[in-house]
Amino acid sequence: MGSTVTLDVCGLPPPEPFVNIMATLETLPAETTLQARIHREPFPLYDVLRENGFAWQTTALADGNFQILIHRIP
Amino acid sequence: MNIASLSTDQSPPISFPFSFFALAPLFLLLAAGMLALGRGNPFAETHSPAMLAAAHCITLGFMAAVMFGAMQQILPVLVGSKMPVARLVARSVLLALLTGTLALCAGFMLGEPAWLNLALVLLGTAFLTFIGASLVSLARAPAKNETRTAILLAVITLAVAVGMGMLLARGYAAGASLPYTEFAAAHVGFALGGWILLLIIGVSYQVVPMFQLTPNYPKWLTAALAPAIFILLLSAALMLLLDPASPWFARAIECLFWLLAVVFAGVTLNLQSRRRRQVPDATLSFFRLGMLALIAAALLALAAMRYPDAHSVLRTLSALAFLPGFAMSVVNGMLYKIIPFLVWFHLFRGGMKSGIPNMKQIIPENWMWWHYRLQLGTLLAFAGAPFWKWAAQAVMLGLLLQGLLLGAGVFTGIAVYRQNVRRLKPAPV
Repeated sequence: MGSTVTLDVCGLPPPEPFVNIMATLETLPAETTLQARIHREPFPLYDVLRENGFAWQTTALADGNFQILIHRIP
Repeated sequence: MNIASLSTDQSPPISFPFSFFALAPLFLLLAAGMLALGRGNPFAETHSPAMLAAAHCITLGFMAAVMFGAMQQILPVLVGSKMPVARLVARSVLLALLTGTLALCAGFMLGEPAWLNLALVLLGTAFLTFIGASLVSLARAPAKNETRTAILLAVITLAVAVGMGMLLARGYAAGASLPYTEFAAAHVGFALGGWILLLIIGVSYQVVPMFQLTPNYPKWLTAALAPAIFILLLSAALMLLLDPASPWFARAIECLFWLLAVVFAGVTLNLQSRRRRQVPDATLSFFRLGMLALIAAALLALAAMRYPDAHSVLRTLSALAFLPGFAMSVVNGMLYKIIPFLVWFHLFRGGMKSGIPNMKQIIPENWMWWHYRLQLGTLLAFAGAPFWKWAAQAVMLGLLLQGLLLGAGVFTGIAVYRQNVRRLKPAPV
């Protein structure tokens, strides 16, 4: 079981959530999961993740935000 | 990370929306030209050829073009679904919409049925293609949120408005006997109160909190507002067509419609007053102006029902507060957010990792402020236009200058994008 890095981009104006998540993923060690919290479902991000070999799981939270778990596909 | 190799499958090429945005300001210039060609004061007679031509330059050539262009990007970003056969849809809709609008203007100004018939075919092609593609995209959308619901209802009301408009144009061209007053009322109601209002509501649910850093819209509002407006519009249209002799029910429905519009405007203004970064922002001011104009449109429409002697002039003022006041202000505000965002987004996805211009530097902020002041001045002129010819002339000047300023803003965005794309490409050997 790998470690988890958390990142909260709730409330940041575009394009900061996208930039911060991508910057974190660039330095994300293998076997590590990024747990990102964001205020809206970032559909454009999914294409970028898919095409760069990441898998993700999005969960709608009770407070209206979203949690995305992202990890590199081995 | 190999961002340079990313495809842009989900997001259409930037040229698709930008083609619409680049051509739309020309129709503000054309609207000014149509008003200038009218006899006397065109605002004194709302069904004069010049007024009809100018109104459709704004609603079709400007607003529909911007909204159609924006929808191609909004659908993938907000509901996760792009339009099918995006290139074909973008090109055919753009060509048919713009040529159809020109033909319609010619039909109104020249009184020639042949131009109206041509407009009917071209605009019918543009709208049916756009509506069909939008419905497919919405049906495939993974997001089942309130924005999707509101946009879906907006597209359905657009289909009804288009159907009514085509019947009207066909009737005018053929000299047919139709209930023109009722059909025109339903056409305007579905086009403005349905398509424009519902689309702005649906997009605002996401764009206002996202770009203006406000709290989210309350759940009770996002769940109920768009369906309630849609049901009211359908009820009003059915009453108008089936039983025009009992206006009390139609009045009650209209009162409820305007009440809901005021609730939307009031909640939006309240959210904006609670935004996290309290700094001046031209796009926010455009939005606020739009919401205040929507409240004014509602009050004027309600006053028109209360004071029959002033009914006609109050109705005209209400329509002016709604279309150039509410709709144009919000569309301008959205454009000044969407264009920099698209430039940034496409440069990022195209492979730029550093040196992408800050979104606030893509279109100079002071241009947006100048445009905002111009819009404010133009609206004041609109308010006086039904009474004084000099105010009507000020409207023409305002539309002309707004078209030039907005066009310069759009082309600045395109130029920034092109300059940066050239930096990305290796120099030819």
